This record gives sequence, C-alpha cells and structure tokens, in this order.
Amino acid sequence: MKTRSLNRIILYASVVAVCAFLVFPIYWLFITAISPPDQLRALPPKFWPDVPRWDVFAAIIRERPLLLWLSNSALAALGSVIISMAVSVLAGYSLSRFRVRGGQSLGLFILTAKMLPATLLVIPLFGIFRSVDLIGSLWSIILAHATLIIPFTTWMLKGYFDTIPRELEQAAMVDGCSPFGAMVRVILPVSAPGLAATALYGFVLSWSDYAYARTFLTNAQTNWTANLGITTMKGEYISNWADISAASILVALPVVVIYLFLERYLVGGLTAGAEK
Amino acid sequence: MAGIRIEHVTKTYGSLSVLKDFSLDIADGEFVVFVGPSGCGKSTMLKILAGLEEASSGTVHIGGRDVTDMAPGDRDIAMVFQNYALYPHLTVRKNMGFGLKMRGTPADVIDQRVANAAKILGIDHLLDRRPKALSGGQRQRVALGRAIVREPQAFLMDEPLSNLDAKLRVHTRAEISALHHRLGVTTIYVTHDQIEAMTMADRIVIMKDGLIQQIADPDTMFRRPANLFVAGFIGSPGMNFLRSPVFDRAGVPTVRLFGREVALQASASLVGRDIVVGLRPEHIAAGAGPVTFEVQPRLVESLGSEKYVYLDVPEENRTQVARIENSDDEERPTDTIIARLINPDERAIGKHITLSFDPAHLHLFDAKTEIAIQ
Repeated sequence: MKTRSLNRIILYASVVAVCAFLVFPIYWLFITAISPPDQLRALPPKFWPDVPRWDVFAAIIRERPLLLWLSNSALAALGSVIISMAVSVLAGYSLSRFRVRGGQSLGLFILTAKMLPATLLVIPLFGIFRSVDLIGSLWSIILAHATLIIPFTTWMLKGYFDTIPRELEQAAMVDGCSPFGAMVRVILPVSAPGLAATALYGFVLSWSDYAYARTFLTNAQTNWTANLGITTMKGEYISNWADISAASILVALPVVVIYLFLERYLVGGLTAGAEK
Repeated sequence: MAGIRIEHVTKTYGSLSVLKDFSLDIADGEFVVFVGPSGCGKSTMLKILAGLEEASSGTVHIGGRDVTDMAPGDRDIAMVFQNYALYPHLTVRKNMGFGLKMRGTPADVIDQRVANAAKILGIDHLLDRRPKALSGGQRQRVALGRAIVREPQAFLMDEPLSNLDAKLRVHTRAEISALHHRLGVTTIYVTHDQIEAMTMADRIVIMKDGLIQQIADPDTMFRRPANLFVAGFIGSPGMNFLRSPVFDRAGVPTVRLFGREVALQASASLVGRDIVVGLRPEHIAAGAGPVTFEVQPRLVESLGSEKYVYLDVPEENRTQVARIENSDDEERPTDTIIARLINPDERAIGKHITLSFDPAHLHLFDAKTEIAIQ
C-alpha cells in the first residue's frame, strides 16, 4: 500500500515537472510581452512584472501591419492546405486501396520526398518561381508549402484509410455507388477525424514556415507573412523584445484556437460501430 | 426474384488459382449454401457474384441477364457482410435507405419500405440510432434490413452469423430461414460452419481448394457423401475413418475392423483393393448388434443426453486420411474414433464396453482416390 502511494507521488511529481518544463517558455514569452523594458533583464529575474503592460497587444496591432501579416499567413496556409488535401486524399486513397504494379515503390518514393530538408528545395524553387514570375506573390509560398505538405499528408491519409474496412465501400458499391461515389459518400465522411488531423497538420506546417517566406517574399512587404513580419521587428541595434513577444503570442493564438476547436475530431473514433 | 446461373467461372491471382471451373445453376427462390474450410474459394465466388471481384474467366447470369461485366450496383443484388459494414456516420434509417436513395427512389417510398423492413426485423425502435449505439445482434439485423428494403433479385450473405455469440447465432439462423420462407428471394449464403449449412440450405455446395466437391441437399450430403472430404466435413462429430484391405471370404468382399471380419454389401470387384471405411459416430451403438466388438474407452465425455466415447483404433485399421479442420470437430488424432451413444446405460461405460454397428451403415471410399464407392 505504501509503495503504491509513493509510486503515485513520484508519477505526479514527474508529470508536474515535465509540464512545467514544457510550459515555461510560453509563460516566459507572455511575461516578456507584458513587462516594462527595464524589467526584462532584471537580476534576479522577476516572474511577474510590477506593473503589467496589458495595452501592449493593442499597441502592436496599431503600430505594425500585424493583421495584414496574419491574413497573409492565413491565406497561404489555407491555400496550401486546400491544394494538399485535394491531392493527398486521392493519392492516399489510391495507395491504400488499389494494388497497382509499382504502387509500393511509388509510395516509398513519395516518402523519400519527406526526407529532404526544406531548405534544400529553396534554391531550385526560387529558380522555378522566378521563371514563371511568382516571386513576391503569395502563390509562391502556397505552392512551395504544398510540395512540403503533400508527402506527409498523403502518408497520413493512406494510414488512416488503411484502418477503414474495405467492406464499407463494397457495401456502398452494392448499394449502387460508383467507386468514386463510395469514396465521397462513405469513406470521406467516415474519415472526418483523419481529414481534420491531416489538414491541421498541413496548416501548422505552412503557418510556421519562415525559410520560404523569407526567400520568396522579402521584397514584397504587402505579402509578408506573420513569421516574416515579426523578424523585421528585430532592429540592428535596438530590439523591443516586449513587442516581439506580444506579436509572437498573437501569431501563435490562431493555431491554439484551431486545436481547441478540432480537438474532438482529433481524438474521436467515428468508425466505431462500422463492424461487429 | 430470379435464378442465377454460374458457368465455368475461374479466378486466379498470378499463378495462384483460387477458383477452378465453378459452374452452378440456382433456381428462383432457392437457398444455396457455399460451405468449406477457409481458403476454399467460397467467399471469392460470392464476391464475383456481387461484382466486387472480377472473374478470370466464365460468365454469371442473374435473372437471365448476363451480369459478368456489370458494376455491383447494376446487378440488383443485396449483400450482407461478415462485419456488417454499416455506414457509421448514418443513422439506422439512413443506412437502410441508402441503396434506395442511390437508385433515386422517392423519399416517401424509401420511408415506407424502411419502416416495413424494420417492423419485420423488430428494429423499428432503433431507426434513429447510429450503428455504434447498437449491440452486435442489432447491427446484424440492420445489415439484414439494409438488404431486404432493396427488394433485390438475390441476397448474398458472407458468413453473417460468425460475429454473434453461440446462442444468438442459433436464434438468428432460424430467423434468416424464416425470412427466406417469407420473402422467397434467391439466397446464396457462405459459411464455414457445416451446421449452418445443414440447417438452412435447400442445397449445399461444398468446396475445397477452389473445387466443388459435391452439390446436394443436406440429407443426401449426409447420407451419400461423394468423397472422404465431404464425409469428414459434414456431421458433428465428424465421420470415423478406418482403413482395411478387402479380401474374399466365400465370394463376399470382406474387411477386418476391430479384429472382426465384416462382410461388405458391395461388388466383388473390390477384392484386393485398399479402402477406407467410414462409420458415423452415431451409428455405433452400445451393446451387441450385427457386428459386435469389445474395447476399452480412452475417454468418455458426457453431454448429458449423450456420451462421446473415444476409442483406440487397432494398428491395422489406422489411416492417414488428413482430418479437415471442421469448425466444431476438435483436433482428432488418427488413432482415435468416436462413438456417440444416445442415453447409454451407465453400467455400460465400464472398463470394457461392448459396442456394435450395422455394416449397412458403412461408407466405403477408395483409399487412393478418396472417392466414394457406390
């Protein structure tokens, strides 16, 4: 009995320690944002400012085109997610369901695309986009992000479709659906949790990109994404860390909100009940 | 409703042949069961009938139409899957109406037919639930309901009872039979369970390794199995097999079983051949009879009203006939046979017991070809 409660104490202590370790940077970001500049480097450090500057968020939105940057980021993320999902739903479904000669190696080939570091593609993509006059356009990063996202999402969706019993679309076909109809009417609705998780993954991948935006959009200020915009707030001699932190929080917020909104899909098991 | 004609259907995957020249005529309204051990090709044949798999060669006619190259949805058949395959995102009502909706049936007609089918199956109180809120038995009924609202030319059922517990299985088995009598729709039912086949079928098609072994009604299948495989598969516990050469005794072909000479009611041409003699466990009786022998049981299992008595087979009668995995016949070594004694006298199950059988009940098979000797 005694060892059991001791185990429990150790378990909870570890959980608290790990959580504190993970949450502390976010907490510190928040503290930095609302602290007056002179308290940022105080020693010993202050864990809560004497006079919190709550107006920092409103001020940053007034002073910088943060809302424009955010909407550019959102457009780029939505665009690349839509393209990626359209491609990878069909590709993942095909890889999962159809046995084609060479299908296995094709799947592995797509997988290798995941292994290339994103920065490796920056130069060739720059060349391609320059020749079709896309440098400075949001389309450049939409397409670039899609090339990154599609291999991931294709494999995620293939894995998800693999878990859905084939009998479901066979039943739909006996009921009168075409193979494509069976996918649209039965498999996709059943896959909603998988689709949501995959789309969210792609969204975050695009939202958090810096390298592509920095390369393709630097000379087009009106098309800056949030991440690119924030880095321009760092001056050569003076950096207002409070402002940068406040802007960072505002950029992170949409992703947190989406996670909260989609959480039930991410953990939900909608296929329960399809089989015995 | 319609008859089904399957002509010379084969199915190969590369060099693997899973279905070898399958031909069968099914009458309108008939209940046909495909039975056999796993991997015998019965499910493949059903999927070819449904259009979910393509035949490598051969043709399929349903109701006089050649449907060989038709999409599943155009064949006017309904299928019940082993795992039910209910659409998890739709309510029971929409699950059942899905096929009709795909065919453009007006909504009020769909509603009425779903309501009727639900009433027949006793699931009218479940119509607004999702499949995950149903028990196994209820899901099974919804799957049946989804098939019957369509009023198709034929029902195809792929082991629909194998996910139910034993009690519910027996109950639902009777219900499916009753439903078939009521609707009279041609039904093809796939199972590996010979009891389901025996109890439900008008005709049984028994398969092994992609080949039809015998097509017959249940009684014929039981009384006159075409070969050793059928003999061992049908019946529970399975038929006992004893090997013996046939010799001549005063012009009568005779074998030696349990040390007794047994005259066979068969043609004299058998003399000199090696045969396998089949004897059903229920044809061995306690006490003296036409052929009487004494043995010491190895094991006695009591089921209350009957007893299974396990007997050692004499060395000379042992046969290496491979026992086929039969769903309800446990691994039985080749040196053991079973006698099934109905209400035996308790005193009879002593150290040594006297058992007997009637040579008229013996089944004879050629030891080499394994085919029944008529």
